[in-house]
Amino acid sequence: MALLEIKNLHVSVGDREILKGITLTLNGGEVHAIMGPNGTGKSTLSNVIAGREGYTVTQGEVLLDGKDVFAMAADERARAGIFLAFQYPVEIPGVSTSSFLKTAINAKRRAEGHKEIDAMEFLKLVKAKTKELGMADDMIKRPLNVGFSGGEKKRAEVLQMTLLEPRVAILDETDSGLDIDALKVVSDGVNALRSKDRAFLVITHYQRLLDYIVPDHVHVLVNGRIAVSGGKELALELEAEGYAKYQGAAA
Amino acid sequence: MAVTRETAATVKEIEQYKYGFVTDIESDKAPKGLSEDIIRFISAKKNEPEWMLEGRLKAYRYWLELGDQEPDWAKLHYPKIDYQDAYYYAAPKKAALASLDEVDPKLLETYKKLGIPLLEQQMLAGVAVDAVFDSVSVATTYKKKLEEMGVIFMPISEAVHKHPELVKKYLGSVVPYSDNFFATLNAAVFTDGSFVYIPKGLRCPMELSTYFRINEKNTGQFERTLIIADEGSYVSYLEGCTAPQRDENQLHAAVVELIALDDAEIKYSTVQNWYPGDAQGRGGIYNFVTKRAACRGRNSKVMWTQVETGSAITWKYPSCILQGDNSSGEFYSVAITNNHQQADTGTKMIHLGKNTKSKIISKGISAGHADNTYRGLVRIGAKADNARNYTQCDSLLIGSTCGAHTVPYIETKNPTARTEHEATTSKISEDQLFYCRQRGMTQEEAVSLIVNGFCKEVLQTLPMEFAVEAQKLVGISLEGSVG
Amino acid sequence: MKPAAGLMEHPFGADYARRTPAPADAMLAAFRDQARSVFEPQGLPGPKNEAWRFTPLRALAKVPFIPAAAADDVDVTAVPAPVAVLPGAARLVLVNGVYRADLSDKIEGVEISTASDRSLLGHIATMASVPMAALNASFMGAVLSLKVTKAATTPVHLISVAAAGSQPVAFHPRLLINIAPGAALTLVETHCGLPGQATLANPVTEIRLGEGAQLKRYVQVAEQSDSFHLAATGIALAKDSRFEGFHTGLGGALVRQEIAAVMHGTGAHLELHGAYALDGHSHHDFTTSIDHHVPGCSSNQVFKGVVGGESRGVYQGRIHVARDAQKTDARQLHKALFLERGPQIDCKPELEIYADDVQCAHGAATGEIDADHLFFLAARGIDPATARMLLVEAFLADATERISEETVRAAFTRDIQGWLSRRSLKAAA
Repeated sequence: MALLEIKNLHVSVGDREILKGITLTLNGGEVHAIMGPNGTGKSTLSNVIAGREGYTVTQGEVLLDGKDVFAMAADERARAGIFLAFQYPVEIPGVSTSSFLKTAINAKRRAEGHKEIDAMEFLKLVKAKTKELGMADDMIKRPLNVGFSGGEKKRAEVLQMTLLEPRVAILDETDSGLDIDALKVVSDGVNALRSKDRAFLVITHYQRLLDYIVPDHVHVLVNGRIAVSGGKELALELEAEGYAKYQGAAA
Repeated sequence: MAVTRETAATVKEIEQYKYGFVTDIESDKAPKGLSEDIIRFISAKKNEPEWMLEGRLKAYRYWLELGDQEPDWAKLHYPKIDYQDAYYYAAPKKAALASLDEVDPKLLETYKKLGIPLLEQQMLAGVAVDAVFDSVSVATTYKKKLEEMGVIFMPISEAVHKHPELVKKYLGSVVPYSDNFFATLNAAVFTDGSFVYIPKGLRCPMELSTYFRINEKNTGQFERTLIIADEGSYVSYLEGCTAPQRDENQLHAAVVELIALDDAEIKYSTVQNWYPGDAQGRGGIYNFVTKRAACRGRNSKVMWTQVETGSAITWKYPSCILQGDNSSGEFYSVAITNNHQQADTGTKMIHLGKNTKSKIISKGISAGHADNTYRGLVRIGAKADNARNYTQCDSLLIGSTCGAHTVPYIETKNPTARTEHEATTSKISEDQLFYCRQRGMTQEEAVSLIVNGFCKEVLQTLPMEFAVEAQKLVGISLEGSVG
Repeated sequence: MKPAAGLMEHPFGADYARRTPAPADAMLAAFRDQARSVFEPQGLPGPKNEAWRFTPLRALAKVPFIPAAAADDVDVTAVPAPVAVLPGAARLVLVNGVYRADLSDKIEGVEISTASDRSLLGHIATMASVPMAALNASFMGAVLSLKVTKAATTPVHLISVAAAGSQPVAFHPRLLINIAPGAALTLVETHCGLPGQATLANPVTEIRLGEGAQLKRYVQVAEQSDSFHLAATGIALAKDSRFEGFHTGLGGALVRQEIAAVMHGTGAHLELHGAYALDGHSHHDFTTSIDHHVPGCSSNQVFKGVVGGESRGVYQGRIHVARDAQKTDARQLHKALFLERGPQIDCKPELEIYADDVQCAHGAATGEIDADHLFFLAARGIDPATARMLLVEAFLADATERISEETVRAAFTRDIQGWLSRRSLKAAA
């Protein structure tokens, strides 16, 4: 069975239809990239799957392991295995990164019927992962995302993804605001998580990220529809030629 | 509605005690109402010396003169309190034996929810506990150990007998009987409370704690706490408050006086979780409290931390009079109001000495139909050279039917002083909530986490065992506020 | 007439009323009678009145004021010399509150009348909560109505001169400003006095801004050092209207400028700023109240003051955000600088918020000139007196630079510089 199935998804914000029928199937082990010019609905797609309010689904469905995602609240979806790496990770003053991580891990554990994580075990786990991601030791003591640089924020997102072990990870413009070194670290983190039980949906404007996270499938999203799908070579073609020809076709 | 609504049951009780008052001095509850006789009764019950009774009567007569001049400047709305419709003395029948386990099941449930049996935890942690059950102090633990070090920690009723010179010297010296309506009332009718004296040069190695509880129906609780930190000493004092759930409103009018002499330091922490009333605003404690510290000595320091989550009405301004040169006062406050709760709370920092410093961090959280007001005074006297004040007041509104207000007064007469005040108002952003929920947290977990972050600066000043309780209380107090 | 028990005695009793000229018509007479029924029982506000706790009126109450109109020995033939001439502005001169056509210019685009605009009078400045509005209405003499129906190109410079004869005088003028939808006006007001006996100016201004209207109002109060000025302004803002206000207070025995604005229409914006510089025994009080009654409005306030001598500066600012007034953005800042030992600063910024999706903040600070800054300037060879002057100017400039009209900004800045240089001369002597 497919991990994530998006079937004929239509989404509106207010009176305006943003997504006009998206169909996409992610199987275990696959990395799908969604590319497209600004304002074509890339972020809408990730937000709707993750359950942000303010969007109206007018048609279609999204299934995670065959279960209706829209029947679940945002936190239920997260506990069921949908992870969204935010384009703009949110600052939460006063809440240390470690207590945030612990709360999130325990929310998932409780849902799965496991007991809460032991403090020592948690610390050991986090320490190991922060090291892998090249993060400073004291970062987990700092308030979540507050005063983090762009690179630190994205690393923190990957750290959360690593600890929460999602079924489907959606990366929303994870490359934005990253220099080449940070991009490499973040990509390594993502690549380390690739497995046959997990699928990735990588949303990006530029091809650059896909040099590091090599996709199995590339889809071009234009005006709320997938204009064309292909292999990783499609990304290179877009890099060279731009989106113009698909924009024309879609319009 | 009067503050203490009479029920059929209590009418019966009065019948029972109508005669008991005159003849049976051993009775455990004085009849309703306030009169010189009641005050004499309380004083006699406590076997007080004449000077104590005189002090009470002086206060009572002054209170009568005040008539119905209850302070009305706070942003609080409540029905007129009928002071003749409350009991001013109520003692548990087996006072001397009452164990600390004797806690309302409802309350135990709350603590279970909190995941920490408070009392047990305090005992384990080596906290010395003085429990004030309604009007009398029922048990004081760790007494002996403290005695050996020269620390006096006992019910104030006992201190009146054992240390009259200290009580005479300091009682009413920070909050005089004429200070305000509720303090006057307290001076007339206070029944018990804690007395602490820390001898010169001693850093009290354990936290001292009082646990207040209003148990009886229709009882007012008027406790009085007096803490004296002699030169170079240090003490950390914790105060916890709970009350069972009742439909009637109950009055709590306490007075706390702190005195810090040269180089002494007092840390006073409160977690106030009196019954707040139900979701419709029925019942709950009316909490009118006067807390004040005199930093009399050079380099003395007082730090107030309060976490106010309970009570239907909170009227409370723990203050510092910074008399000694280089003395400092700090006030850290979290006040949470939900449903129909109202809180008008803050502090007064009165700078008199040179190089005095004060810091005020206030976090107000308002939800439901509640109102939450920070009211504070920073006053710099003409002689307070180089005084410094920093004030930060942040309000968080949850939902669009509550109110958050900030009313600071800043009065400066010294050119070399520097005062700074900042206040902000905000809400929990949708982005923050979504972010947390996307990581698997429920709405309530997310709110609790975010609000705890908002209060962090204050909560981290609490002693460890209180901090854990306070953090969970924050979440529990706000249950059902977002949704 | 003796005041009721507990009220302080004051000169504005029956005798004062008797000597006040009769109103122009029955409507005004009824208005005044109603006002007296409000004023008399409450009298002048005392220290127990929360809004007046920092500004005692005891000294004022002891001055034997007579109504200015009853003084037959007042003689003003010209605008006092220190009043700045604003380039391009048309002058409108009042003496003791009375419009003086002989000293005023013709003004184009603004309808000026001494008849009261009934749609405004008493509607915006409320007597019940503003005691100075009640005092004004009780003895209201001259009314001046300004009506603007399009964008006025000529700024109006209103000059109000207070002048006493052999006895102290008080006057209670009412200014009604009606800016029609889409119309605009720039108004500068100078309130000054002539040397002599004490005066009390008690002006009340009621302003209505129609939809999309704009008013810039710049007020300077520079009364004589023994004189009093108790002003109240009410502003009603309709949808998308814009108000910019700036007030200076440079002296006078006791000055209170009370400004209350209510946002009635979404998209309204208010900028209200001020500066004061006090010396001697001057007492100056800025009291503002901004009521965000509807969603989507914004307000911004910056008040700065310097105090010397034995003076006292007061700032009270209240921001009220009504239930459902979501997306309100309201900010407020007061900072005061002590020039020496002796003065006093009292500040009470207040937020009263009943809506959750808002951005509200206030800040307040007091202190003296930063020693590091002084040292830095000294290290650059600047003498201490000049350095202090520069730093004080810069401190106040944070407020004055918010005046968007360049000529007015320049004139107000010159006034402040004048105050500072007079003061430092005095200090040197």
